[in-house]
Amino acid sequence: MSNPAVSWSLAGRLARRELRGSTRGFRIFVACLALGVAAIAAVGSTRAMLEESISADAREILGGDLLVDIVHRPAEPEERAAMEAAGVVAASAEMRAMARAENTRAARTLVELKTVEQSYPLYGALETEPALPREALLAPQDGIWGVAAAPELLTKLDVGIGDILRIGETRFEIRATITREPDRIGGSGLFSLGPRAMISAAALPDTGLVQPGSLVHYNYRLRLNENATSANVIETLNTDFPDAGWRIRTLDESSPRLTRLIQRVTLFLSFIGLTALLVGGVGVANAVRAWLDGKIATIATLKCIGAPRALVFRVYLLQVLALALLGIVVGLVVGAGLPVVTADLLAQVIPIRIAGGIFLEPLVVAALFGLLTALTFSVWAIARACDIPAGDLFRSLVAPTKGLPPKSYIALTILLAAALAGLAIATASDAKFASWFVLGSLAAMVTFRLAASGIAKGAARLKGVRRPALRLALAGLHRPGAPTASVVLSLGLGLSMLVTVATIEGNLSRQIAEELPADAPAFFFVDIQPDQIAPFGELVAGIPGVERSEQVPMLRGRITAIDGTPAADARVAPDSQWVLRGDRGITWASEPPDNNKIVRGEWWPADYTGDMLVSLDHGIAVGLGLDIGHTLTVNILGREFTATLASTREIDWQRLSINFVMIFSPGNLEAAPRMHIAVVHTSPATEDQVERAVTDRFANVTSVRVRSALETVGALVGNVGLAVRLTAVITLVAGTLVLAGAIAAGHRRRIYDSVVLKVLGATRRDIVTAYVLEYGLLGLVTGAIAAIVGSITGWAVVTYLLGLSWSFEPMAVAVTTVIATMITIGAGLIGTWRAMGQKAAPWLRNE
Amino acid sequence: MNDLTGAAANHAPSDSTLAQPMIALAGTELHLASASGNVNILRGIDLTVARGEKVGVVGPSGSGKSTMMMVIAGLERQTGGSVRVAGEDLAQLDEDDLARFRRDRVGVVFQAFHLIPTMNALENVAVPLEFAGAPDAFARARASLETVGLGHRLDHYPSQLSGGEQQRVALARAFAPEPDLLLADEPTGNLDGETGTTIIETLFDLSDRHGTTLLLITHDPAIAARCDRTVHLRDGLIVDSGAAA
Repeated sequence: MSNPAVSWSLAGRLARRELRGSTRGFRIFVACLALGVAAIAAVGSTRAMLEESISADAREILGGDLLVDIVHRPAEPEERAAMEAAGVVAASAEMRAMARAENTRAARTLVELKTVEQSYPLYGALETEPALPREALLAPQDGIWGVAAAPELLTKLDVGIGDILRIGETRFEIRATITREPDRIGGSGLFSLGPRAMISAAALPDTGLVQPGSLVHYNYRLRLNENATSANVIETLNTDFPDAGWRIRTLDESSPRLTRLIQRVTLFLSFIGLTALLVGGVGVANAVRAWLDGKIATIATLKCIGAPRALVFRVYLLQVLALALLGIVVGLVVGAGLPVVTADLLAQVIPIRIAGGIFLEPLVVAALFGLLTALTFSVWAIARACDIPAGDLFRSLVAPTKGLPPKSYIALTILLAAALAGLAIATASDAKFASWFVLGSLAAMVTFRLAASGIAKGAARLKGVRRPALRLALAGLHRPGAPTASVVLSLGLGLSMLVTVATIEGNLSRQIAEELPADAPAFFFVDIQPDQIAPFGELVAGIPGVERSEQVPMLRGRITAIDGTPAADARVAPDSQWVLRGDRGITWASEPPDNNKIVRGEWWPADYTGDMLVSLDHGIAVGLGLDIGHTLTVNILGREFTATLASTREIDWQRLSINFVMIFSPGNLEAAPRMHIAVVHTSPATEDQVERAVTDRFANVTSVRVRSALETVGALVGNVGLAVRLTAVITLVAGTLVLAGAIAAGHRRRIYDSVVLKVLGATRRDIVTAYVLEYGLLGLVTGAIAAIVGSITGWAVVTYLLGLSWSFEPMAVAVTTVIATMITIGAGLIGTWRAMGQKAAPWLRNE
Repeated sequence: MNDLTGAAANHAPSDSTLAQPMIALAGTELHLASASGNVNILRGIDLTVARGEKVGVVGPSGSGKSTMMMVIAGLERQTGGSVRVAGEDLAQLDEDDLARFRRDRVGVVFQAFHLIPTMNALENVAVPLEFAGAPDAFARARASLETVGLGHRLDHYPSQLSGGEQQRVALARAFAPEPDLLLADEPTGNLDGETGTTIIETLFDLSDRHGTTLLLITHDPAIAARCDRTVHLRDGLIVDSGAAA
């Protein structure tokens, strides 16, 4: 710029001189930014750390360069030959089965059974305790096969090395515990119904577990030849065996479930961090305003001796930027360091090798968030301060200006806010969710701002209050310069986030673990063979305490085409994509399930035997873009079946009964190899007896205890919930910081007020009562509004994002409101107490 | 004391502007709309001040002295009449032009000093020179401070200086850019008698040396008497334009 008077370098010199003096009042500013930036940087860094760890170990986690997953059947010899042509193959079968301890207690548990070949693992190493060569670990010794088991299995069944386990119809000797299974997480993700039991592939046939229709995943892991690429191999395999019905995973999707979970959780956490930053933004705005209020004489002087407005703006912008930089750097250091510290802790929850480190990208993003927040929340105040009429210096009553800054600065503020919103959306893994977050936080900020005006106006309207303490309190809420707006806005946002998180968590844990539906079954029994159905029914019915049982046939199938369009090319709503992700349970029925309601179309007649029809979950049908009369093609055991959509149903998934997304009309699938699935309703007291009776009689049948499965899910949700809660607390800390800042800003006024009140004869008790009432009212109203805003947000997330039924969480709301009130009263009183101790005389003389 | 002539007059007036008065107020009015109605602060001021003239301004509180000075400094815009200062019609200048106008032409000294608390004496004096892009801003500021006898206090901050010293810094700041016009609003109002006298001596001395036009608001008849003439204001009007004293 040619004009030296507005040059950045001159502005920089002046800014440096001013900053040299004092940065008092900026502690809150720096702390607010540091906190928000630290939260975002920590979440981003943790995510980067986990994803990089997964990606660095992708070969081990997947167990190969490629994984071919076939459900129900092993690969045909020619299929296996084709795989072997591409590289070294390690085949394994993975299924759920029951393991029983062959001791007096006859304890049993569900295990995640995995068979391995000599070539396993292709990457990484299987580590056991004691460390044994493969032969000694799994091969038969004295006619007894070996098994390597997860330590939890030994604890659960109260057995040790050398003890005998019965899996299916075969006895296995426990030779070692598994301390590290390199590809564990790549299979089931974090969630598994039981501990791992690993046996030799050669032992599987002896167990009798594999029956037609049994739910077995045959996994073929490939270590590719040097000249082969994943893409080429996949293309060859799919071209040569178009009907194989397999699913092939590459290194990019070594652990899709875990990756999705990490994405979801960190998305949620980063929004909480962003809320903390927004709350901090209010603190930034307050701090900048208070600081500039103390600078107006300087600004007026600068203008008086010839500083153009642009120069003044730059001088103060640069100072804000310098302090913002300090806050950002502190935040980045904390945020980058936290994952390094928590890497060990995380490794206990997520069984992968976690490599700590500094991750640049999330730090840059966090820094950008911090910078944009600092600018968005300070440009307005700086621009307004530049409007101070320099002529006021002649009147010795330099006062902060009111009203709007010039249009160009309003536009700049809007632009910065838009950039902040844009960054939030651009860097989120789910743009739609991010957009809702942006809209929601905007709505919440407007709500709280309006509420603050409402409180102030309401307090001003309340005339004729007799009690002086209450009158003082009300006056404190609406006098000029009252911190009402900033307290309501910042504390309100922080509390809303806390209520939201508490409600979501309350709803989740209630639905998962605490309140099982009254008619929830105690057991799912899977892999019941058709010829076992009748004896199974008789056996279960004969056990006292069993209320009822139901069973349905089940096959596994994969959707391959949607109304003629290949599934891979179809446009599917994000919340329905899971249906296409793998194999789904399929059944057929002549009658609609009791608890399903037909939404569209009609259920087929009970004696229907014509062309194949299908009934779909209504939400999924909508998500797939299917209407009555459209077709759906599924691949079942390598055969394609195309059915016409006859009806859609509303399924109550929370009832925990047997529910199927797809139910086909009878007459087409009966011939396919299948197994049956049964639910048994029984009293908790007879659960052990039922499990023992069924698994003793039918060695191939696996029992899933609903209660313990839900506990497993609950524990996972609990871990995630803890992280979420901890992050949410940060928003409240930010809110409290802002509150403390706002109260500190009014400290001088408060001292003066209390001195004058004392002179007029008010006791300390009178004064304290007035302040308790002032802050109590403020906290109570803020808490109440936060409870409403948080509940609405929680409802939206639970209903629309999680697709669960919503229930109001009165405890969360009550606790939050009480916390809000206590924090405000506490912070207010700490400030007041200091004010009360002041001697009156010096203050009166000064005035 | 050093001389301030080290800096060449970078805005030397041309012959035609030399012939013009330094200040020419004609029917200058200032009305402010307030909640309690229109307030007429200046009600038609006619004032002409020649180059190099020293004019004292006296009048009771609220008579419009300071407002008139603000209008002359371009810190307040008149609502009626015209204001020409150093040949510039101030109505034609926008906010930034006015800032540059003050920077190059006008020095102001306040009763309350108004130094920038975060800058030391040297920096306070250098600021307007820096605004003007003067490459030797600090050398000139140092010279200016030496002129007012504060060569040994360059690094001191306003809070470390006495009232008299602060006002001397303010004087050095006002004179350093060699303004055509110096506006002083009760420069001794916050000082004790003896210190005030020193300041007034310095002020007149500097004005004489630079040939600066001086407009000085004061309540002190003795100070007013040192000016070439004294203008009396009352209720926003000049009641006595003060024939040369």
